[in-house]
Amino acid sequence: MAELRLNHVYKMYENTAKKKRKAASLKQGNYAVKDLSLVIPDGEFIGILGPSGCGKSTTLRMIAGLEEITKGEIQIGDQDISRLHPKDRGIGLAFEDYALYPPLSVYDNIAFCLKAHKLPKEEVRKRVLEIAGIMKVETLLEEKVSALSGGQKQRVNIARALVRNPDILLLDEPLSHLDGKMRQILRGEIKRLHKMIGCTTILVTHDQMEAMSLADRIAIMKLGVLQQYGTPEEIYNDPVNLFVADFIGEPPMNLLTVRVGRKGETPVFVLKNQETIKVPRKFYPVIKDGEEYIIGIRPTNIEIVNGETYDALLEVDVFENLGEEKIISIRIEDTFLTIVAEDTEVLEKGDKIRIKMKEDRFYLFDKTTGMRIREPERR
Amino acid sequence: MAGIRLKEITKTYGSVKALDQISLDIKNNEFFVIFGPAGAGKTSILNVIAGITDPDEGDVYFDEKNMNYVEPKDRDVAMVFENYALYPHKTVYENIASSMRTKMHRQPQEIIDQKVKEVAELLNITELLERQPAQASNGQRQRIALGRALVRNPNVFLMDEPLAHLDAKLRNFMRKELKSIQERLHSTTVYVTHDYTEAMSLGDRIAVVNEGKIVQTGTAGEVYEFPGTEFVAKLFGDCEINLIPGQVVQEQGKLYLKLPWENHRCLLPEDVARVLREKEVTTVDLGARSAAIEYFRTPEEGCIQGQIYTNEPLGNKVELVVKAEQAMIRFTVKVDEKFQIDEKIYLRFDMEKCLFFHSDTKEFLTRHQRQTVRGGRGNGRA
Repeated sequence: MAELRLNHVYKMYENTAKKKRKAASLKQGNYAVKDLSLVIPDGEFIGILGPSGCGKSTTLRMIAGLEEITKGEIQIGDQDISRLHPKDRGIGLAFEDYALYPPLSVYDNIAFCLKAHKLPKEEVRKRVLEIAGIMKVETLLEEKVSALSGGQKQRVNIARALVRNPDILLLDEPLSHLDGKMRQILRGEIKRLHKMIGCTTILVTHDQMEAMSLADRIAIMKLGVLQQYGTPEEIYNDPVNLFVADFIGEPPMNLLTVRVGRKGETPVFVLKNQETIKVPRKFYPVIKDGEEYIIGIRPTNIEIVNGETYDALLEVDVFENLGEEKIISIRIEDTFLTIVAEDTEVLEKGDKIRIKMKEDRFYLFDKTTGMRIREPERR
Repeated sequence: MAGIRLKEITKTYGSVKALDQISLDIKNNEFFVIFGPAGAGKTSILNVIAGITDPDEGDVYFDEKNMNYVEPKDRDVAMVFENYALYPHKTVYENIASSMRTKMHRQPQEIIDQKVKEVAELLNITELLERQPAQASNGQRQRIALGRALVRNPNVFLMDEPLAHLDAKLRNFMRKELKSIQERLHSTTVYVTHDYTEAMSLGDRIAVVNEGKIVQTGTAGEVYEFPGTEFVAKLFGDCEINLIPGQVVQEQGKLYLKLPWENHRCLLPEDVARVLREKEVTTVDLGARSAAIEYFRTPEEGCIQGQIYTNEPLGNKVELVVKAEQAMIRFTVKVDEKFQIDEKIYLRFDMEKCLFFHSDTKEFLTRHQRQTVRGGRGNGRA
């Protein structure tokens, strides 16, 4: 199979269009998906990630052919598949709610579409056993679906999607029904599965950890618009805007509104509570005195230091010892600046600490547009 | 304000023993956490304190006063639940004031006004007072519910998973908010949760509950560093503790731990060896958390060899599961450490950081005690 391409795909649901037409917002566009272009290389595992209502499931359904596209095209290699019938697209689908046939056994559920295609019995048996082995449900084949646990049902569900040897496997929140432990186990299995059979897989999820752990590449969407498309490392370490920076990471990135001021000659970021943080040299060319920005730094990229070189001197509000991690929170008006440290002494409310930011993980964002302001390339 | 004492409380529902001889001594003004898995009996304990549930046996005391036959309304406890139970048609102000307008706790208007504003300030919801709850966010609603309980100055505060409803981000934030106002609450608080981070962060002390029994009571440091049983050890930490069967063997006067890998044995620290000798233990379960596991990409002295089975990002770190012969070992590494599935990795257990449990009773035996004074001051401080 060749790569899957979405070219400027739009989707507008008819009824929303009608309802909103009077509001004259058509021009602005109430698209469920808006101008989405993605190139999905053969054999890769792609995560489409975003909060509810971001258009991720709609995108998946358009790829599957369950939803017509309003504008644009979907290609596999050079072939436009936008108008193809779902069954001719070579796609396997597994949804969050398993949609298995309750009166049938596990075997018959997995075999269903092969039988519908009138494959010879021997062949069906061989394929079902093979897939059941991969998905570790071979001991359950004679069970009725209703007797299975959630995790087992989802395995059967994925097995059924795989048995047709699809070119593309689509997974829509396959784990969100399951409890924490089961989710983790199946997450590991899905990853191994993809490694084993290597078919292009697209996973829709709202859970950033799921996307980060499974996907080779993540597309983050918000309100129908693609925000960033990149590897988990790119998304984590090089977010293009505030939305991505805030959405990825747990505990989340510290994002603080600051104004650029001066302390003597040195430029500083003045926080809302008038405390200051030294501006890293790399930002000198892009900041203006008196302007407001949003700075971003992850809790693990701040270090508590001892010596004379530090970026800020701040007062601890909350110190939490969570065993392997210590969390230090500094109150900045109605929010916190959070530091996660593995090894630090016990601190108390009111203690002053010196902190140093990891410079190459210190981000700057435009306050109005939320876009990342990049420092000039170093020569 | 009162201390709470529970004495041998037992409660059965049909054939199920929900609470089995629960005894607790909660000090005045203590923030006490009841922690355990679902169905452990946490909420039942809370209900017994509140008087909503009558125990079959046992006594409830507030300070020295026996409360067994005191009606819930006369116990002067304030409860905060997971779902906030706010009045949707009343303003935030009126919601908070409502607990001071009941027959039992009626207050004059000036006092109400003063208290509402005080509490709103404390909880950072002053600007919401004139709004309706529907116009507040989830986190704000929880704060309003908290405020309503706070203004009454109750004897006892009971909180039943107040943060469980919120999404991860907000939960973290609210946990810190709660911790930050904790010392200003000035009241005895009993807090039920199944989230170990909440338990460790908020609790002056934690009671770990399982199947209607108290398994261990102690400070966060105690239950984490010295868990009474393997069960308790497993409950604390993002990444479950590894429990590996080991044999204690003596060679040339020194005690070693033989682990289930070929020719793999580790020298036990002297204080650990002494305890194991005294107790005449020959088999133990070694408890190894992430901090006790060192890893290398190339073979090193005293390591076992394994392969990456899965690698799972957990936000700011990555959990690795390593398959080493028949055993699966899980631990966390920094998020920028990249490992591929099936990649070779070499692990070493740091005996000075491991816990030792009895292999039959699963009870805690010993661990190496650091020489340094815990909580020592001096570095990192301006």
